[in-house]
Amino acid sequence: MPYNDQEVIALDNISKRYFLQHERARELKTALLHLLTYLKASRAKEPFWALKDISLSVRQGESVGIIGANGAGKSTLLRIVARLAPPTQGKVMVRGRVSPLLELGAGFHPQLSGRDNAILNAVLLGLSRKEAQEKLPEITEFSELGEFIDQPMRTYSSGMYVRLGFAVAVHVKPEILLVDEVLAVGDAEFQGKCFAHIDKLRQEQVTIVLVTHDLESVKRFCDRAVLLSHGVIAAQGDPQDVVDEYLEQVFGHAGAAPAGDG
Amino acid sequence: MRVVSIPLPTGINLSQVTHTWELLVLLTAREVKLRYQGTILGFLWTVAKPLLLALVLSFALSRVLRVDVGDAPYHLFLLSALFPWGWFQSSIQFSAASFTNNAPLLKKVYFPRSVLPLSTVTNQLFHFLLSIPVLMLLLMAWGYYPGLQWLVGIPLLIAIQLLMLAGTVLLVASINVFLRDLEHLVEVGLTLWFYVTPILYPLHLVQDRIGPLIHLNPMASLIQAWRDLFLENKLPSFDIWPALVFAGVTLVAGTLVFNALEERFEDAL
Repeated sequence: MPYNDQEVIALDNISKRYFLQHERARELKTALLHLLTYLKASRAKEPFWALKDISLSVRQGESVGIIGANGAGKSTLLRIVARLAPPTQGKVMVRGRVSPLLELGAGFHPQLSGRDNAILNAVLLGLSRKEAQEKLPEITEFSELGEFIDQPMRTYSSGMYVRLGFAVAVHVKPEILLVDEVLAVGDAEFQGKCFAHIDKLRQEQVTIVLVTHDLESVKRFCDRAVLLSHGVIAAQGDPQDVVDEYLEQVFGHAGAAPAGDG
Repeated sequence: MRVVSIPLPTGINLSQVTHTWELLVLLTAREVKLRYQGTILGFLWTVAKPLLLALVLSFALSRVLRVDVGDAPYHLFLLSALFPWGWFQSSIQFSAASFTNNAPLLKKVYFPRSVLPLSTVTNQLFHFLLSIPVLMLLLMAWGYYPGLQWLVGIPLLIAIQLLMLAGTVLLVASINVFLRDLEHLVEVGLTLWFYVTPILYPLHLVQDRIGPLIHLNPMASLIQAWRDLFLENKLPSFDIWPALVFAGVTLVAGTLVFNALEERFEDAL
């Protein structure tokens, strides 16, 4: 896929630290009783570095697949790009409208109609109210909801819920699309439709960062793959090479990788 | 060392302000829609509720509490203060949990988060606005006719109260993310605040006893201004300065605290 040299995501030596226990008291009583140890407490707890010194640069129109074992830091990385988690150290630069497909339909209210929810969600994602209104027919059509769009969302099946969530996220004119595993939901037909739409967005120079365990889709959709391992970048480059390296890492030196990965 | 720099895509500009405004409108509309959903009277409740509340309170209180409130009938005296107070109290009370209740949203989408507590204030403002015609009808029924002063006085007092609330709810909602006890403390605190504010009784009753100390309660001056406007068509004077001081202090404190805590929300939500 062709892309130009404009850098849209730049992560400069970012690290993200979490604490394994609650690092601060949630209750006033606890806070007051332990006022003296309170400030020191965060230092006493064991820190866990979800990401360590990650530097990554993504150019406009590029599709980057992030792979790695559970707990490698993939989702944390995506959350940092989405501005949902500030890095503990390092600098983040993100240029353009970001549409995160982290959990489809987050923020939908079950008592309100699909229409009301779609418009509110689109505005939350950065559209103006007018643009959201204009996009609504497309969103309705893509989600295949038909007249259900005016029904309260509590009447929706989980499939309808997810379809509307996806439809909104990809129709808000994103410049950067962050996809986290969400395509594992929905029936095969709708999944195909989602991938087709993401492909279309790629051709429109939308930058895509995809976090997934589905190595085939990384090979198929991405210009570049990044392998995360225990919070550091273990490898990056051509998707085929990186996927091979990952499989090697997972299955050790026992020989060729098995056909299916559980 | 902690280095974080996330440049906003466009900086603070007009389109961003418009966007925040539209979000505020949509969130307010959502709350209003949700509030009386599934009820038979639906939207009528927004007017019926203050009216019924008025009936109950004036019946109960005018018989129980024998306070000399001057010329006005007790129920008019009470309601002219109770409705603005209701906006104040419910805004703070309901917005305290506005970040914690919207955790799923805050964790999945980035947007100007201050709109969440602020939309509670505007939602409650909407209900207050609808209670004004109710109050007007009651006043007129007892021969108190609204004057042209209302046209200036109401927007002015709303603006002042809005400023008082904006900073306060940002402060309370932000801290509540880390100390969830606050929403319960606030509830109790507001009840106390209700009784130390001249709502059930006239201002002079406390002023006679504690003198200038009354100025420590910014709501005393604001509530008195509302009452003067509704009952006597009197425009607010500079006596309202404690409310203005409160608005200024809470706006600065609320903004500073919100900005300092916002990026740590994700650790606590």
